[in-house]
Amino acid sequence: MTLVWRNRLWALAFALALVSSGMARAEEKIYVVTTLPDLADIAARIGGDLVTVESLAKGIEDPHGVPIKPSFLPKLNRAQVVVVMGLEYEHSWIPALLSEARNSKIMKGNIGYIDVSLKVTPKEVPTDLSRAKGELHPAGNPHFNLDPEGGRLIAQTIAEGLALNFPQHRATFEANLKAFLAQLDAKIQEWKVMARPLRGVKFVSYHQDFTYFADRFGMEYVGTIELKPGIEPTAAHLVELVQNMKTEGVKVVIREPHFSEKVPTQIAAQVGGQVVKLPIMVGGVPEVKTYLDLIEYNLRTLLKAAQAAGVTGKV
Amino acid sequence: MHARSRALALLVVFALCTGPLAPTVFAQEKAPELENLKKQMLQMEEQFRQLQRQIEKLEKQAAPSGAPGQPQAADPALQKKIQEVESKADAALAASKKIFPSQFNPSISLAIDTIGSYKSNAQGFNPGDGTGTRDAGGRINNSRPAGADFNLRTAELFISADVDPFTRAFATINASADAANNDEAALTVEEAAIVTTRLPYNLTIRGGRFFADFGTLVHRHDHDLPFVDRPPSLDVLVGGEGQTNGVEVSWLAPTPFFLRASATVGNKFGSDFRDGVSNLNSRPIKGLTYLGRLQTYFDINDDNNVELGGSIAEAPSAEDVMHTGRFERRLVGMDFKYRWYPLGYGVRQSLTVAGELLHDVGDADPLNGGPRRDVLGNPVRQGAWGGYVYAEYRLSKQWRPGVRFDYFQLQSEPLLVTNPFTGLPASTLNATGHRTDNRTWTAYLTWFPSEFQRLRLQYNRSDRGNAQDANEFFLQWTAFLGSHSHGFSERE
Repeated sequence: MTLVWRNRLWALAFALALVSSGMARAEEKIYVVTTLPDLADIAARIGGDLVTVESLAKGIEDPHGVPIKPSFLPKLNRAQVVVVMGLEYEHSWIPALLSEARNSKIMKGNIGYIDVSLKVTPKEVPTDLSRAKGELHPAGNPHFNLDPEGGRLIAQTIAEGLALNFPQHRATFEANLKAFLAQLDAKIQEWKVMARPLRGVKFVSYHQDFTYFADRFGMEYVGTIELKPGIEPTAAHLVELVQNMKTEGVKVVIREPHFSEKVPTQIAAQVGGQVVKLPIMVGGVPEVKTYLDLIEYNLRTLLKAAQAAGVTGKV
Repeated sequence: MHARSRALALLVVFALCTGPLAPTVFAQEKAPELENLKKQMLQMEEQFRQLQRQIEKLEKQAAPSGAPGQPQAADPALQKKIQEVESKADAALAASKKIFPSQFNPSISLAIDTIGSYKSNAQGFNPGDGTGTRDAGGRINNSRPAGADFNLRTAELFISADVDPFTRAFATINASADAANNDEAALTVEEAAIVTTRLPYNLTIRGGRFFADFGTLVHRHDHDLPFVDRPPSLDVLVGGEGQTNGVEVSWLAPTPFFLRASATVGNKFGSDFRDGVSNLNSRPIKGLTYLGRLQTYFDINDDNNVELGGSIAEAPSAEDVMHTGRFERRLVGMDFKYRWYPLGYGVRQSLTVAGELLHDVGDADPLNGGPRRDVLGNPVRQGAWGGYVYAEYRLSKQWRPGVRFDYFQLQSEPLLVTNPFTGLPASTLNATGHRTDNRTWTAYLTWFPSEFQRLRLQYNRSDRGNAQDANEFFLQWTAFLGSHSHGFSERE
């Protein structure tokens, strides 16, 4: 009885395998899976018509806390390359998925695992690793995608990674990279001019994710609402933060979409400042559909908020 | 030593290679420890380039009137400065190439799980029911006695690493205080297994001692459960953690949706002496326990998903250590899990509803050993049901209240006669006119000050078949040290 039942199950599974392998053959494009939507957008630009790209996480999610959905496994199992941010950005979910995906090609250290942080010079690399300092990123702050120069490095690394995996398409990837970088470079010149009033503007954010952005555009990070990375604020910390903001004249409070509105609003009210909701990934707000949109949106929204708070620097 | 020199050679290749992407030689090497070094190397390179630029700048400043391309006799002080900078850069580069033997150490984590509890009164089933020793009132005690207690349930060491390009391995070593041993720590190897990493056809083989793939909470370690205690139904029908010594083959179907199957063969399933079977005595092939599981998962939409699974554990001809006769152990289980986890704020607000239903249709006689027989001497199956369902709501990143209901029937039901058509007991009534069963109602609240620390308050009320109600209170404090990362099967 049991044996018959078990045989039936295996027969069913076998039939499913046949069906799906037929489907896989029908797919001729290179299947690229990325962890985050920014990587998907850039990979789609580099791969062009040669690739189908899918991002596991969506822009509105907390990138550090993406739920480990079993539905990610069939995608990773079929993926020809996987593109990750690296610097332990996805440490809470991607290692568990990769070790269960049964696709040795995309395991860390193998050719199909493209880590776009390789060219990045990490900032805020902790010198003292202790959990007393919160959920630290041992290799440094991983939010380099918010700096457009980080976007350049991401694009270059993806192009090289794809060329390494599919050398027959190297010329296409290089041409697409060139086109993307030309567009990015033109935008960067534009953004530099646009961001001049932000120079010297002081701000706080919920999580420490605007470091690269602030350094690029000359803004000053004063603190975070979180007590430590990944640790919710205590009452004493918030009192201290508000005090500090008053002393420093901070009027801009950045809230990332996946954090609660409550505390940022309270803090902004106490210092007479502005809360500004800024996405940290493509898709974080509906208007941001591409990587270039992301930087543009963040700059424009910040400018508007800084002007409203009356803290813009001299142009 | 060989590995170390190989790694050193790789680093040299890296230093020479201007592109950040590794040559294929490296790509085929599995040395994740090198990732960090690689990053450091790139940083060093960047610093080196900066220093070079500075040197060039300094050189230009030193020779403003010199013709380009003509070497100039620079200021000796400046030359000294350049040499100093160069030697610093060289030293930094050399330092970054160092390899330490400890870099190949496996990742280690420790879970400390301590529980304070209070139970209002001792509990037992009515005379004639169940197993265990009788108390003064003739009741059968098969649970913890009344009173207060502090219990260091777990000090559990988890070690894991890649073995080579083909396998990885892990071990869970628990040193909990053992009341039966004057509270001296008793060291047990809960799990120690080798897992393949690159088999074809989506297959993975696991061998050694591990918690068998059955249901959803059976293969969780105590401290990883969503509650303080393991659901009583699992404790009774499986026997705690579903440990086995054996081999498991699992397969991820190459389907567009998630479908996973596994087949396991092992000595036993659950705690030692569960139905009398243990690791101690060898057994015929038919005396081994065979397990199978099939599970699937569907996203209803971005925010809602459902997971379903079915499991079976079958020992066709088991025998207990007393050799009182052969019996069959067969346990079937169904499990489900529904999750509402809104993508934008699931970290702060989400809902999980999950449960398992188990049916023991084996014919072991836990009271007398060997197979069970009714008064007429016919073999009879246990036909005992059990299961639990719980709902947990995440109020914020830190607070999660939940409720649970658990039900089980005792397997050692006093027997009357067998229904000749089903092989199950024709009557399920015991001396009190009730089926011997137990209900447990539970409410709990978990507080996570951080991802690595947890406090949980729990209240249990159980009835032991209306024989005797008892109230239990628990306060659990758990901390995780080291690289605590959840594997796929321990996902929330």
